[in-house]
Amino acid sequence: MKITLNEDVLADNNSAAAFLRDEFIKSKTLVINLMSSPGAGKTTLLERTIQELANDYKIGVIEGDLATEIDADRIRAAGARAVQINTNGGCHLDARMVAKTIPNFNLEEIDILFIENVGNLVCPSGYDLGQKHKVAILSVPEGNDKIPKYPVMFRRTELVLLNKIDLLPYLNFDVDTAIKDLKGINPHSKLMNISATTGEGVEAWVSWIKEAYETR
Amino acid sequence: MHEMALMGDILKIIGEDVQKRNFSKVEKIELIVGEVSNAMPDALEMALEIYKTQSIPFLDKNTKLVIINEEAKARCCVCESEYIPEKRLSVCPTCCIPSGELISGETFKVYSYEGS
Ligand SMILES: Nc1nc2c(ncn2[C@@H]2O[C@H](COP(=O)(O)OP(=O)(O)O)[C@@H](O)[C@H]2O)c(=O)[nH]1
Ligand SMILES: [Mg+2]
Ligand SMILES: [Zn+2]
Repeated sequence: MKITLNEDVLADNNSAAAFLRDEFIKSKTLVINLMSSPGAGKTTLLERTIQELANDYKIGVIEGDLATEIDADRIRAAGARAVQINTNGGCHLDARMVAKTIPNFNLEEIDILFIENVGNLVCPSGYDLGQKHKVAILSVPEGNDKIPKYPVMFRRTELVLLNKIDLLPYLNFDVDTAIKDLKGINPHSKLMNISATTGEGVEAWVSWIKEAYETR
Repeated sequence: MHEMALMGDILKIIGEDVQKRNFSKVEKIELIVGEVSNAMPDALEMALEIYKTQSIPFLDKNTKLVIINEEAKARCCVCESEYIPEKRLSVCPTCCIPSGELISGETFKVYSYEGS
């Protein structure tokens, strides 16, 4: 017998994400889902961002990682509350995994919660985590071709942090081309140049977060 | 990569319905997969083959997977024409500016199954 279901494959994830979104709205926590390839600089940028924000905001971080606790330790050293999710090889975080970590935080006390997703430009883009904002990090050494090669990621994020701009003089990355490619995929997205190690451009990113916090 | 996880979700959705109806076997699974949904038909096939070896009661080696492709289409908000998007999804080929919005191609659904 043929049974028609016509059901969204991600329906379960989407209802878990809706639950999270409600929780985050109730506790007035700003939640940002950070996604990139492995090594683009998510943890380094978070360390610096926490330093910039720690005086004025209570920060929490959920660290998605295949197996280790290295990133969570780095975040704790920077002074934020960090909870690690090991996906045991899974290539993305889903809303149920995030929901399970929530009891580790007192959300009422967290102003800004960052989620460092598993390093991967494909899978994380499909999973809503109940966040207010999705931000992609692309780093200069990855090359110009990544935006056209991973259109779904860049279509579903509203801000791209172009990291490691300190390396621009040594590599053939072209920022204007990146902006053009990005606008071609997602006219609403913005590109922001930063260097998580030298701190260049981080001020603009921090202002973006503060504004997002005010309008959360 | 994440097709294993996605196929797991698909089998869960079907499994719940199979149980409700007291079926014991699924002969065929039909999915709708959009071209820009980030799910790869070949990888989904492969994932199902792997699940078949994991003794899921309602699957057997003859369970068929049929994937209905949903074409990516976009509409330009300036000239209102519809077009088939290339890599730069939003660029309208007539206006040559990023003025297009996707109108199809993002669907990813379990459409139907055949059970007994
Ligand atoms: N030159 C340079 N290196 C960076 C920058 N940001 C991060 N890195 C380096 O890139 C490597 C990977 O960074 P990490 O933050 O662990 O990346 P993640 O995997 O995305 O979390 C480390 O060796 C960082 O020191 C940057 O702005 N400039
Ligand atoms: Mg990291
Ligand atoms: Zn047009």
